[in-house]
Amino acid sequence: MDSFISTYGFLLVSMTFAAMLALSLYLPLMTGQLSLASPGFYALGGYIAAVLSTTVWKVDKGATYPLIALVIEMIIAAGASGLLAIVIGVPALRLRGIYLALATIAFVEVLRVLSLNLDVTGKAIGIFDIPQPFSTKFAYILISGPMLLFVMFFVYQLERSRVGRAFAALREDELAASAMGINPTNNKVLSFVMGAVLAGVVGAVSAHFLNTWNARQGTFDASILYLAFVIIGGSRTFVGPVMGGLLLTALPEVLRALASQPALPKFMAQFLTDGRLIIYGLLIVLSTIFFPQGLIVPELWQRRKRKERDS
Amino acid sequence: MTVPLPDSTSIDVGTSADLMFADKLEKRFGGLSAVDGVSFSVREGEIFGLIGPNGAGKTTLFNLITGLTPPTSGRLIFRGENLTGARPHVIAQKGIARTFQNIRLFPNLSALENVMVAQHIHTHSDILSSFFGLPSARREEAFIRKTALDLIDLIHMRDRADEKAKNFSYGDQRRLEIARALALKPQILLLDEPGAGMNSNEKAGLSDFIRQIRDQFKLTIVLIEHHVPLVMGLCDRIAVLNFGQLIALGNPADVQRDPAVIEAYLGE
Repeated sequence: MDSFISTYGFLLVSMTFAAMLALSLYLPLMTGQLSLASPGFYALGGYIAAVLSTTVWKVDKGATYPLIALVIEMIIAAGASGLLAIVIGVPALRLRGIYLALATIAFVEVLRVLSLNLDVTGKAIGIFDIPQPFSTKFAYILISGPMLLFVMFFVYQLERSRVGRAFAALREDELAASAMGINPTNNKVLSFVMGAVLAGVVGAVSAHFLNTWNARQGTFDASILYLAFVIIGGSRTFVGPVMGGLLLTALPEVLRALASQPALPKFMAQFLTDGRLIIYGLLIVLSTIFFPQGLIVPELWQRRKRKERDS
Repeated sequence: MTVPLPDSTSIDVGTSADLMFADKLEKRFGGLSAVDGVSFSVREGEIFGLIGPNGAGKTTLFNLITGLTPPTSGRLIFRGENLTGARPHVIAQKGIARTFQNIRLFPNLSALENVMVAQHIHTHSDILSSFFGLPSARREEAFIRKTALDLIDLIHMRDRADEKAKNFSYGDQRRLEIARALALKPQILLLDEPGAGMNSNEKAGLSDFIRQIRDQFKLTIVLIEHHVPLVMGLCDRIAVLNFGQLIALGNPADVQRDPAVIEAYLGE
């Protein structure tokens, strides 16, 4: 068990982060808004944590960083992301579909270029030696694990509530929803802000976890990766993005383990280790062909429920 | 208020003291006036028919009233309040509900959920009270569900309440759309071709159903319909549109005899 955790501890925590980032993209999608802005807010949250912990609440090298300071960083990151999301969201959410996606990609790029050129973000070098509140990487699960469960429960309750139904109506048919008295702007901005806050908080924890933070965090690549979590996992229930984030983050390690099987011919092993990205891309293509709604759809348990009721 | 017509007859279009008053509503799309200075009022409790040949501007007029398209000029007065240019959700909150000619249910939501959604404006639970499952939120949720089920009962769909809206037949979808609109507790209900695609048997049933909901929910109903016998038998008053202009307004018998109406439908 100990060796498992020392080997895979980093991966397990990364998986929970990925699940939450997938949810941050799923939240605006609940109102039908395809926003790729999550990496931008993730980067923002990370820089807030990195700057605060290396300048304001500095600790000696090697000393344990106080957990309370991390929590305060998370709260500040949440607030800053939420405010920025309102400023960005009100004009951007007038755009629809692909145009909103393009605008949010531009937003992510603007933030990236800014962080490459500002002194406070360490320019191209970024910020390193971010202090550690835990002695091992796996211990971050103490924060990310409960956080993921909390967010999952939050979205679960949301989907069954009055506001969640209004979101679903907007996603299904915005015009009809507004004719039913639902304010499209307010609800779309609300879902966008919730996604941004989540991404910002994850960024704050992630900066400590990764020990270093630079302009490579939160790029267009990350936007597409999170989108893949949601598309492959499924976009019709929150379980989809969570499973997509968890499984797709673990996939490269699973392939690596497969490759180390001695029975495998050498060229196959080499393909599994070096061709990981090819396999990854292939999976995305295959799942969109065979599971266009994603792997997890609500019908999976609805059908069972109906069967139980009828029998 | 009366508006002179080209042929020197005039139409009594009512006043802003009536429940709803359209005052010279106009919508131009480029050079085309889809609705061209139309004035009429709807009185409380009546069933008001809106007829006219294809392309006469009936649905555009509905869209102007419900805020889906802003008018180029003119005013819309509802219960003495100027609602011109208000956004659709505000107009819905004021008490004007509608159905759509090309059915716009929420296809992937169940029949029950479709009706539950439409109670949004009459309920108040926010995200946090739902998240914590506060008693107030749970009570409200139970109330929403019960109200929705009552409306589902009204259209006899109780046994299929959990099915997705997109799986219902055309006629059932039309009835479900009416149930959804009723969940808004409107004062005026606008029905855009409620009988489209129904056979004559179903249309007779529809007439009874519309009268029933008018009486039960104390509604005022405005409906667009092509089927002349249905309109003549059901409506208290009828307005006729042709090329975006109001050419006749009055009780069914008078409208039926109006030379301008006969000309619009049959040609000279």
